[in-house]
Amino acid sequence: MRVLVGVKRVIDYAVRVRVAGDKSGVELANVKMSMNPFCEIACEEAIQLKEKKVASEVVAVSIGPKQAQETLRSALAMGCDRAIHVATDLRLDQELNPLAVARLLAKVVADEQPDLVIVGKQSIDGDNGTTGPMLAELLGWSQATFAAKFDVAGDGATAEVERETDTGTEVVKVKLPTVLTADLRLNTPRYPKLPNIMKAKKKPLESKDAADYGVDLAPSIVVEAVASPEARAAGITVDSVDTLVDKLKNEAAVI
Amino acid sequence: MLVATRALARRAPASSLRVAHLSTASALEAESERFSIYNPTEEHVALRQMVRSFAEQEVDPQRAEYNEKEQFNRALFARCGELGLLGVTADESCGGSGMDAVAACVVHEELSAADPAFALSYLAHSMLYVNNVNLNASEDQKRRWLPGACDGSKVCAMAMSEPGAGTDVLGMRTAAVDAGDHYVLNGSKMWITNGCVDSETLGDGALVYARTGPGRADVSLFHVGPENPGFSLGQRITGKLGMRASPTAELVFEDCVVPKEDLVSEWNGAALCMMRNLELERVVLAAMAVGIAKRCVDRMGKYAAERVAFGRPIAEFGQMQRHVAEGYAKLMAARAYLYATAVDLDLTSTGNRLDTDGVKLFATTVAKEVADAAIQVHGGYGYVAEYQVEQLWRDAKLLEIGGGTLESHHKNMIRDLAEGLPPGV
Ligand SMILES: Cc1cc2nc3c(=O)[nH]c(=O)nc-3n(C[C@H](O)[C@H](O)[C@H](O)COP(=O)(O)OP(=O)(O)OC[C@H]3O[C@@H](n4cnc5c(N)ncnc54)[C@H](O)[C@@H]3O)c2cc1C
Ligand SMILES: Cc1cc2nc3c(=O)[nH]c(=O)nc-3n(C[C@H](O)[C@H](O)[C@H](O)COP(=O)(O)OP(=O)(O)OC[C@H]3O[C@@H](n4cnc5c(N)ncnc54)[C@H](O)[C@@H]3O)c2cc1C
Repeated sequence: MRVLVGVKRVIDYAVRVRVAGDKSGVELANVKMSMNPFCEIACEEAIQLKEKKVASEVVAVSIGPKQAQETLRSALAMGCDRAIHVATDLRLDQELNPLAVARLLAKVVADEQPDLVIVGKQSIDGDNGTTGPMLAELLGWSQATFAAKFDVAGDGATAEVERETDTGTEVVKVKLPTVLTADLRLNTPRYPKLPNIMKAKKKPLESKDAADYGVDLAPSIVVEAVASPEARAAGITVDSVDTLVDKLKNEAAVI
Repeated sequence: MLVATRALARRAPASSLRVAHLSTASALEAESERFSIYNPTEEHVALRQMVRSFAEQEVDPQRAEYNEKEQFNRALFARCGELGLLGVTADESCGGSGMDAVAACVVHEELSAADPAFALSYLAHSMLYVNNVNLNASEDQKRRWLPGACDGSKVCAMAMSEPGAGTDVLGMRTAAVDAGDHYVLNGSKMWITNGCVDSETLGDGALVYARTGPGRADVSLFHVGPENPGFSLGQRITGKLGMRASPTAELVFEDCVVPKEDLVSEWNGAALCMMRNLELERVVLAAMAVGIAKRCVDRMGKYAAERVAFGRPIAEFGQMQRHVAEGYAKLMAARAYLYATAVDLDLTSTGNRLDTDGVKLFATTVAKEVADAAIQVHGGYGYVAEYQVEQLWRDAKLLEIGGGTLESHHKNMIRDLAEGLPPGV
């Protein structure tokens, strides 16, 4: 079976983001970018499927600027077999909406004919959490979101998925092909080993222009302004429990 | 990159996680992950990211415990094998990755920022042993020794210094004779990193230089291991100022039998092997110095912003500003010199001595000075283990001695800089 993995280039999780002076968005210039953490989990899952001989080929796809190829090289170094770069200069965190991404991915699925698509449950820039479900809808496939465990049945026709929900863990059975969205506990991504970093540059990486897919990329959501959260005012120390209760009752009105 | 999910996984309370952007990646860190003289190719970028993640997640957390106990972390060393770091410059056919001096610097810089002592053992193994074998041994010897050394199952060393000869290394007295169907080695070696792995146990293999002829440069190189009769551990050297998690040994050879097939390179031909490997050793020691200085600048910058005295962050006091700003400038100068030297260092060549000595001379003293400034900025807290800078200061001092003392660099460099000087001692 062939697995397609979506990997997105985002601001590194450890960077303290800054809002641009004109409030048009967060500052992207000279900021460290990395693979979206949930996409790393998606990649790891696909590679493990290959190691377990459930999958025969893992193809990574990334939509974004030229530098998205670096993210794809990371995916190849982790162990994906080949990569597809869909080039666009739209800002990934606010101009290229999840629906446009899902439409592009649906086209890539049509070209590549995978039996399984794995994406992260959300990306840490837009935090939309909608790309996977919309892709499943466009393809008319089943979907298993927030996956914490994934097992393909012996006959390859169905899979059992443990999903993390707010009320607990749910186990569902899905028909393949399916779209899986990876949650934190699905696995722990590996470091790419040095020999695999060296091999990654020899693996095929194909670049295509997003405009050539003939899908509508115009944003359906337009960002008007981005602002930093207001700084929290410093707390105060009260001298007795009575004052505390009084303030909670009368000033904060929480009890 | 991969740190991300691991860090998130540890914090994650529930399924509906709101991913917050955590700490600050300093300007320094962001800068060093892009293409630049520090990362000339895509592979160097990926290598640096991988080693940095590994250092943060696995090397940093073990530092305090292993250094305090003066223990070598063999499990962590084996992880370096799994990740392919031990054979960074070795041939791919022997389990290595065939990368260049810049890649070697990247690994040393990143490991050293987390734990210089562990990085020193990494250096002795992967540069002084693996790279030396890769360059100077026969194909048959490489096939016998390199795979185990690259995968981390063996911990290896290089023995040049002696109790009575360090800077004057060609004054060595350990000697070997040809006994017909084998060689016999007598003498002792001192200060050998990875010569042992604990107080009782020898390391798994060592390249040993020994005198084999009447001329000053008549030295040969032999491969020995615990299996060679007459080879033993004299002592594990404890109580070192720094580099405490890196084992250091005195090795003793008493009529030690070395099979003929374990002579490396030519009889009386090892001076060239030694010189060639010393150039790389000095560059990666300079890389370790850069790693130390980088961590110190990072630590003191953060501390100066947090620590309040006289109602203000101490970063607002001019003297503190000077420590941090000068530390950064020295670091960046050392780093630029380092990578400018490394990018031109052909591992198979010799004759790069001026800058391989020069960069070690400059960068190691920078590391010591910047570590000193970092302690100063931390005040009393700088004097204790928790803030790491006192260890970095102790470890930095070794870099002014090991792999050639500062004075040996002066002595070497003047040969290139004062033209026409008669050959020196
Ligand atoms: C922790 C540690 C790890 C080490 N690991 C290894 C290892 O793995 N393998 C190995 O072979 N060795 C190793 N060494 C040894 C190291 O290389 C030597 O300590 C170093 O070369 C200095 O030699 P020495 O200690 O004999 O000092 P000496 O050579 O005795 O020097 C003493 C002082 O005299 C000065 N001096 C000597 N000659 C001159 C001169 N001509 N002009 C001016 N000044 C001079 C020196 O600069 C120094 O200041 C290690 C040492 C340490 C401390
Ligand atoms: C081993 C040890 C033993 C000690 N024993 C004792 C003891 O017995 N009794 C006791 O009372 N204390 C003791 N101390 C505390 C010691 O006196 C303090 O560590 C010292 O005064 C520095 O204070 P600090 O550590 O809070 O650093 P800080 O005052 O926080 O200083 C941090 C840095 O900021 C700088 N700084 C602060 N203010 C200014 C300014 N206005 N302008 C420029 N720079 C500034 C400092 O010079 C320093 O470089 C001991 C400390 C140690 C480490």
